[in-house]
Amino acid sequence: MFIPTILIISFVVFFIMQLPKGDYVSSYIARMQAEGEVFTQEDIAALRAQYGLDKNWVMRYFDWVFKIITKGDFGYSFAYGRPVWSVIMDRLGITIAVSLTIMAFTYLVSIPIGIYSALHQYSPGDYIFTAIGFLGMATPNFLLAIILMYLSFTWTGDPLLGLFSNEMLQEGIHLYNFGEFLQRMIIPTIVIGTAGTCGVIRTVRAQMLDELSRQYALTARAKGVSEATIVYKYCLRAALNPVASGLAGSLSSIFSGSTISAIVMNLSIQGPVLYEALKTQDTYLAGTILMTQAVLVVIGTLLSDILLAWLDPRIRFERKRS
Amino acid sequence: MEEKKIENDGKDIVLDVRDLRINIEMDEGTLTAVRGVNFSIKKGETLGLVGESGCGKSLTSKAILGINEKKCKTTGQIVFDTDGRGMVDLLSLSPKGKEIRQVRGKQISMVFQEPMVAFSPLYTIGNQINECTRLHITKDRKKSREISLEMMKKVGIANAEKRYDQYPHEFSGGMLQRALIAMALVCNPKLLIADEPTTALDVTIQAQILELMKELQKDLNMAILFITHDLGTVAAMCDRVAVMYLGKIVEIAPVKDIYAAPAHPYTQGLIGSVHKIGTKKEERLFSIEGTVPLALNLPPGCGFYERCGKRIEGVCNVKEPELTELSDGHAVACHLCGGCQGCAFGANSGEEAKKDAE
Repeated sequence: MFIPTILIISFVVFFIMQLPKGDYVSSYIARMQAEGEVFTQEDIAALRAQYGLDKNWVMRYFDWVFKIITKGDFGYSFAYGRPVWSVIMDRLGITIAVSLTIMAFTYLVSIPIGIYSALHQYSPGDYIFTAIGFLGMATPNFLLAIILMYLSFTWTGDPLLGLFSNEMLQEGIHLYNFGEFLQRMIIPTIVIGTAGTCGVIRTVRAQMLDELSRQYALTARAKGVSEATIVYKYCLRAALNPVASGLAGSLSSIFSGSTISAIVMNLSIQGPVLYEALKTQDTYLAGTILMTQAVLVVIGTLLSDILLAWLDPRIRFERKRS
Repeated sequence: MEEKKIENDGKDIVLDVRDLRINIEMDEGTLTAVRGVNFSIKKGETLGLVGESGCGKSLTSKAILGINEKKCKTTGQIVFDTDGRGMVDLLSLSPKGKEIRQVRGKQISMVFQEPMVAFSPLYTIGNQINECTRLHITKDRKKSREISLEMMKKVGIANAEKRYDQYPHEFSGGMLQRALIAMALVCNPKLLIADEPTTALDVTIQAQILELMKELQKDLNMAILFITHDLGTVAAMCDRVAVMYLGKIVEIAPVKDIYAAPAHPYTQGLIGSVHKIGTKKEERLFSIEGTVPLALNLPPGCGFYERCGKRIEGVCNVKEPELTELSDGHAVACHLCGGCQGCAFGANSGEEAKKDAE
């Protein structure tokens, strides 16, 4: 399933990329003309030929895919003047690291809160967490980012803009400045993470309430099983089912949701690059970024399926049968 | 919580429920679901608890184990002959504490109505039965597995070694009920509470399960509290029967007496509504009119007043009848029958009751 999915995604991505009128050359020329440059028809045609934009898009798509498969060549970024792959590799590692951190944050915070809320339904704690959660969901990420950066600036004198300080950029990440890097991760994590947190809290809470009232919880209690075992052995494992299946979804929403926040906070992750690439119609770059994200989401789906099968024997059973 | 010690009166009583009351706090007010229930069970005896849905029989049974929801406020005494500690009022124990958990599953266990949902779908049957063994008998993995397997074989689960590692969804309903019984009996409890254990099963399976329970009862010499609304199974299973209506026991008697001479109009109605072989198709089954009223702001008088065919105005809707002994072991709560021994609902007993009420 993996390879056909990726192929279809790549086709759709490429198709959508060429839908808007014009191409990189026309947007490039528009910018140049605004600065007073003069282009003749021949110049434009030469530029198109140079970038390979004179062929029709289907041809270009097959060309692109063929090169990826045979040479691992993802094309050339017009705007950066470099191969797409090297542009992506600059930021791929950090993007994955940031996304995973945000995901870990989301689940580490929201699952315990969800359990607490379910076990203490309608208690003050439950209401407070619910209120904070909804606030987090309703506040636009970029606004939260600005507020937190302001607070950080007034308290510490550093808005913690970006993931790296200037020194770090010069020296690279080492053990001694890893602490600072983590410090710089705090705001982005909170900003992007809170959006998903509320949803997970609500899911876990509702699921836990549901599972706690199930007959099997009563059976376990009648056996003399302790409350903690009922909650963690029986109910939590069942309640995590929809959370596990939402794993891949939350990964993709972190990818897309982080773009604006990343621009506001000057994070060197892929979001802003993608945004620029789309604006300048840098087809191959944008396409490849979308592709890598799609691949990551597909991998995420695979992982969440494995997790589901581990959580619920009924799913394993169906697999075995079919 | 301080536990109360109560003297055993030497009658081999395993469980003695005294003036059990359960109130449920709701938005609309307090629902009095159980209103002063008294009964006791001897060693090796089977007591049937019969009544319509919503009469409080399940709440009563769950109250014994202390596994009702938090909103159920329970008062009264549930005195149980515990292992090693003598008679203890289970209600005086904290519902989440260690003491009650040592009673649950080990000394008193429960078989539930719907075996399909009584097991967690996420763990193997063996795991769930074995959990009980390991909690109460031995921590030794190998030994406890052997004990669990033995009990699975005893309840008639064929191929137990293979079944042990299967999940609930790989079991049929009847097999699951057997597994549930195995889980309830694996620690040799003194008292088994069976809450409509056969309602969700096929008739043929029902008979098998009942037969199995009887056999195991003999083997283990345990008492059974058998909760049902099916008078047929009561006749097959029980030594004594308590009929519950609207949170009260309205009649309690040895099983023969209940069928031979039901004293309470409600019991008469229940027995009248059972199919009998030989009735003609055209004959209609007797049915009790109306439904059980909601136990919220109950009017004074007998709970069955509205639906009773023999009600006496001015008596039954004024004073609530007390449970009165008719003959040895047969007691009834009805103005028509109270006090007049041997006489089944004679007219003059009503007159007497009227005088009493005045």
